[in-house]
Amino acid sequence: MSVGAPGLLAHEERYERDFAGGVARSPWQLFWRRLRADRVALAALTVIVALILVALLAPLVVKLAGAPGPNVQDRNATDMFGTPLGPNGAHWFGVDPLGRDVFSRTIYGARIALLVGIVGTGVAVLVGVTVGLLAGYYRGWVDTLLSRFVDVVLSFPVLLLGIGIASACSLGSGCVGGAVSPGVRTVILVVVLVTWTSIARVVRGQVLSLREREFVVAARSLGASNRRIVTREILPNLTAPVIVYSSLLLPQTILLEAALSFLGVGVSPPTASWGWMIADASDTFDTQWWYMVFPGAALLLTVLAFNLLGDGLRDALDPRADR
Amino acid sequence: MRRSAKRALPLPMLIVTALLLSACGSSSNNGGGSAATADDGAGGHRGGTLTVLTSQDIASLDPGITYQSLDLNVLASTVRTLYTYAPTDAATLVPDLAVGPPQVSGDGKTLTVRIRRGVSFGPPVNREVTASDVKYAIERGFNPNVANAYASTYYGDVVGADRADGGPIAGIEIPDDHTLVFRLTRPTASLLAQSTVLPLSAPVPPEYAKPLDAKAPSQYASHLISSGPYMIPADSDGKVLGEGYAPGRSLTLVRNPNWRAATDHRPAYVDEVVFRIGGSPTVYGRQAFAGRGLVLADPPTPALVKKAYQEARDQIFFSPGAGTRYAALNTAIPPFDDANVRKAVAAALDREQMRRVRGGAVIGDIASHFLYPGVQGFEEAGGLEGTGVDFLVHPEGDRALAARYMKAAGYPDGRYTGDETIQVVGLAGAPDSNDAQIFDQTLKDLGFKTNLKIVGSDVMYGRFCGVPRARVHACPNVGWIRDFADPQTVLNLPFNGNYIFPENNPNWPQLNDPAINRAMARGELVVGEQARARAWAQIDRMVTATAAAIPWLYDRQPNLFAADVRCVPELWNQGHCDFAYTSLK
Repeated sequence: MSVGAPGLLAHEERYERDFAGGVARSPWQLFWRRLRADRVALAALTVIVALILVALLAPLVVKLAGAPGPNVQDRNATDMFGTPLGPNGAHWFGVDPLGRDVFSRTIYGARIALLVGIVGTGVAVLVGVTVGLLAGYYRGWVDTLLSRFVDVVLSFPVLLLGIGIASACSLGSGCVGGAVSPGVRTVILVVVLVTWTSIARVVRGQVLSLREREFVVAARSLGASNRRIVTREILPNLTAPVIVYSSLLLPQTILLEAALSFLGVGVSPPTASWGWMIADASDTFDTQWWYMVFPGAALLLTVLAFNLLGDGLRDALDPRADR
Repeated sequence: MRRSAKRALPLPMLIVTALLLSACGSSSNNGGGSAATADDGAGGHRGGTLTVLTSQDIASLDPGITYQSLDLNVLASTVRTLYTYAPTDAATLVPDLAVGPPQVSGDGKTLTVRIRRGVSFGPPVNREVTASDVKYAIERGFNPNVANAYASTYYGDVVGADRADGGPIAGIEIPDDHTLVFRLTRPTASLLAQSTVLPLSAPVPPEYAKPLDAKAPSQYASHLISSGPYMIPADSDGKVLGEGYAPGRSLTLVRNPNWRAATDHRPAYVDEVVFRIGGSPTVYGRQAFAGRGLVLADPPTPALVKKAYQEARDQIFFSPGAGTRYAALNTAIPPFDDANVRKAVAAALDREQMRRVRGGAVIGDIASHFLYPGVQGFEEAGGLEGTGVDFLVHPEGDRALAARYMKAAGYPDGRYTGDETIQVVGLAGAPDSNDAQIFDQTLKDLGFKTNLKIVGSDVMYGRFCGVPRARVHACPNVGWIRDFADPQTVLNLPFNGNYIFPENNPNWPQLNDPAINRAMARGELVVGEQARARAWAQIDRMVTATAAAIPWLYDRQPNLFAADVRCVPELWNQGHCDFAYTSLK
């Protein structure tokens, strides 16, 4: 990220920065210091916080902007041929073919994107960490079984698998006995199914090395139970890589949601979703650019912000990592 | 019969329409339709190649199977049915392979058709067409390897047809090589005569087709033998697949060397018709609009319709009478088993907005019953004014009336308060998905909780709307096009309680009203155009009054073509350019 001062290697510079003054700092203080120094990551973080606020307060934001709700169909916002109006004073981002406000729908689309992104990544991390921990810690047949299963899942073409599951679960009352109902839950299920494996692999690798480290051996020789070793000794040491990987996974899940919705197997209309809006706009892009550009820009901005923050987190949490 | 749901809108399909006059008449009411007028093509320039752009492929070239608009468009210039319609008159039967009008016996149970002499099959059969070729063509429709979708509907009353499986049918007699006699069990001969405009009556040479029909499914579609002015280039055995037809890529029609102009009313101006299959409809639309010698077989996008309408009206033709679109409400399960709830939804629906998202007034009139402009009985059922039911009087929706109907249904505050979640299944792709969302929002505004699914048309009909056990409450994107110029073909299958099937059910609202069923049974046997129009108009009024389905659009199908194309639209077939009449300027 930062360009080293003349004569100093990058890691020496970090060392200087982190330990200047000889004051001892906790790892989290060090992390925050490093992150604060990374302006790009901070800007990304600001954008993300703003996005989350906008998503949480979507009704308020839309109201303050004086825009109609995301599902309000205004026939008067289209001409006699049904052509929607472009951006204007009443509709900042124009309207879609149903006369719905694109600004309002873009704002509400953030809810779906972030919901799927955060919940989907969260569940995927939970599953991935559990599987990775078990496989790495117990090794032997547990490892063989879980690792081969991960290999099998990884060998599926992600998007095809997603489309298949999403189509199966979006019919009737859903799948898994109705537990996965059509709509957001199905999308989250797909996201989890296709993303947990990468986390599991990383965690397994880390655990394999951690379990041989002195502090683990020491704990074991003191008679600590497996449960204690895993939760107290190993898990805390996984925090950094898990945070880094999940922050890089999150934008992928947001894109996956958009892709599924684009393909018509994601969140169903009328719920506003950026992917659906982009797909819907693709037929009329030549004459109604606003319908694609605004949700597209929102998607780009969100994914870019998460990616940049992920890079920043990686730098800050793991200074030795070579970029 | 059961596959008739395939003929539902918006799968592009056959239509039949009234005289051009009705198009002009209705256009004056709403400003639509004043684009290119239907041209009979007389005196066209000979020669040249016409290129047809279509995003969708041919479904089947077999005249015994074909039931889709694009395929009918191809067959109209490659095979000759007993009777047909002139391109610009979709109501009057014109003899094609037949000579003279159909002769119906006094008791209505015998139909005699004389076959024209001098019509020959194209290569490699190269012989004269006889009555036995038509007899075989119809019989093979009952062969399970062909499985024609409408054979049992229209030929079902022929003696022996109830046991037909592809072999000879006793009730189709050939006293000589150029006479066909149909003997029927019921007095429905005039309906049968009209149904011969469908391609099942086009001749098929038995000595050539029988080995192909023995295979499951029949391979005749890959070997279509021409009897019309054009043929598909084939190898020496007559196989067109891989020669003139490359599925998903292209189809070519060239002149049939055995066709004699003296035997035909078709002028056949162009030398060649080339189909480019499988591109993007948006791109194809733009190409056809700006290019040369091009015809668009897909419906143009609303944006292109607007552009053509504003900038080049002689390049777009709005074909009247392209079917009725409606929302089906499932009368078999709550809450739409209650007529008042259905009427509330009908009253609330903004049909003006439903039409607006499809392109506005130019693409059709707002519907208020099911027989549509150009179908016999349309005027008798109330015309564009409607049948008079209060819940369809206001095209923009009447929320107050809707609230009154909800109160009548037992919801005191005029909104639905029950706990059913309404399953709505709509059609994917603009503008259909937009119509589905308007309908969905209407239900929400009335207090319903809904679950809207947007799916492709095969899934919509094949897994949801046409399958009663799927328990779908509402299908806002269904529609119907008549098979030929008779009102029975618009109302009988979609609203007859005897036609509720576990699969491929065409009666989407599952309407099973004994009075309507009885009226339809009587209506089938009514003889005479005027009498049939009145009888079926009355049935239309009865169906409309149930609010089992909410009619919302009488389609006027836009057809787009390049500036140098003199398109002669098939009014009976959604206004596609008829290749045997169309010429290049």
